[in-house]
Amino acid sequence: MFDGAKDQTALVRMDGLHKSFGPVRVLQGLDIEMKRGDRVVVIGPSGGGKSTLLRVLMGLENINAGSISFGGQPYISVKDGKTVIDPKVRRSIGMVFQHYTLFPHLSVLQNLILAPCKVNGESASGAKERARALLTRFGLGAKADAYPNQLSGGQKQRVAIARALMLDPKLMLFDEVTSALDPELVAEVEQVMLELAAQDMPMVIVTHDMWFARNIASRVIFCAGGVVVEDGPPEQVLGSPIHERTREFINRVFHIRT
Amino acid sequence: MELDFSIVLRFADALAYGLWLTIRLTLICIITGGALGFLLALARRSKNRLLRGASTVYVEFFRGTPVLIQLFWIFFCLPIILGVELSSFVSGVIALTLYTAAITSETFRSSLGTVSREQIDACVALGLPARVQVTSVVLPQALLRAMPTLLSNTISLFKESSLVSAVGMADLMFVGQNISNNTARPVEMLTAVALIYFAVAFPLTRAVSVLEGRILRKLAA
Ligand SMILES: Nc1ncnc2c1ncn2[C@@H]1O[C@H](COP(=O)(O)OP(=O)(O)O)[C@@H](O)[C@H]1O
Ligand SMILES: [Mg+2]
Repeated sequence: MFDGAKDQTALVRMDGLHKSFGPVRVLQGLDIEMKRGDRVVVIGPSGGGKSTLLRVLMGLENINAGSISFGGQPYISVKDGKTVIDPKVRRSIGMVFQHYTLFPHLSVLQNLILAPCKVNGESASGAKERARALLTRFGLGAKADAYPNQLSGGQKQRVAIARALMLDPKLMLFDEVTSALDPELVAEVEQVMLELAAQDMPMVIVTHDMWFARNIASRVIFCAGGVVVEDGPPEQVLGSPIHERTREFINRVFHIRT
Repeated sequence: MELDFSIVLRFADALAYGLWLTIRLTLICIITGGALGFLLALARRSKNRLLRGASTVYVEFFRGTPVLIQLFWIFFCLPIILGVELSSFVSGVIALTLYTAAITSETFRSSLGTVSREQIDACVALGLPARVQVTSVVLPQALLRAMPTLLSNTISLFKESSLVSAVGMADLMFVGQNISNNTARPVEMLTAVALIYFAVAFPLTRAVSVLEGRILRKLAA
């Protein structure tokens, strides 16, 4: 439905990403090019490096080799064994984690305006106005002055998404944001993400929810053993995968989940 | 043996004076000592080895010696070394501040260690510079988490401050002991003094557990 709006220029280019934790090789030469119109869902076995991939993209992990460019600009590279990250580029990427990461000592509103005020120097009143509008849009208008411990898991994740959006990201990363939630709270979070998708927000999503993957993805990547095994439109990768490993994985997950 | 607790009421003013000194001493020293203890905790977690070493020696020294000898040293040796007269109140404040700093630095040190890795990840993902991460996220959470233990530290200090009676400061302990000696009514007076300490300390110890529950629930989100 949104394919018409698909922008084919490159947004992210990952070249030969290598990442090890000590002796454990997690990413082993990952090459992924993402277009502006892409909504990429990354699937793969647990421990396969999906979180690591997103954390590297967010600039949270050092890498051993490879490089990433963003919007044609160099973003992450390795020089003399040290990871070099351009913090300006990093600011145009937002991320929501599996664990709740709202700041528990701050109200919902304060969580939302902290970065805009402290990083971008926005006025508190301006930021608050934007924050309230965003919260209302996500059905959280009444929660602006609540503290994170007064929210349900689904509300916390929606606030976390709103907090990231306050910085007008050009790319959003979601790492299993519904995995810690009670089943009845999953839909409200996925709904918010689908809404972002409808506005053509570029995203990379890690999820085990295959129904959701099929609904939101414009492209599905199956990652295992630190490399891309299969990469294609959701109908192909989820419906009739080419590779044996993908097929095995999809069968297993579908049997558990649906 | 005949007990006459009305004697306690007769000396109520003197006891109130002593209690007021004890409270002032406790409040001043928990504030000055807490501030110093906070800096010590930062020093102990610093990357600078000299700073880390010096602060560790300080803390271990004050934790590893009796408070009474610290008091005596500040009262009798410090004036000789500095060559100035210090009022007994000032000496008491200095001694208990130095001691409280060592105790509270441990409180702050452990609370600083509890700010989770995930909170820092969230800061980085939001592009918060290191300085803002510290001032807006790490420190407020660490301070909040330290509050119940700090209140416990305050209660301990309130009780331990009775040691200043040994160097002649007219705190609650000193006043009570004096009256008890002069009236030969130790049972009534010393019991009354114990009850006064308890009456102040007990509600505070209850407050610690309430505060702890609230803060833990808040920070668990
Ligand atoms: N901080 C870390 N230290 C050591 N090993 C890690 C760390 N983070 C991840 N790993 C390891 O890297 C591998 C990939 O983990 P992860 O990226 O979390 O996989 P996934 O998200 O696909 O389940 C696992 O074997 C995991 O144990
Ligand atoms: Mg993961």
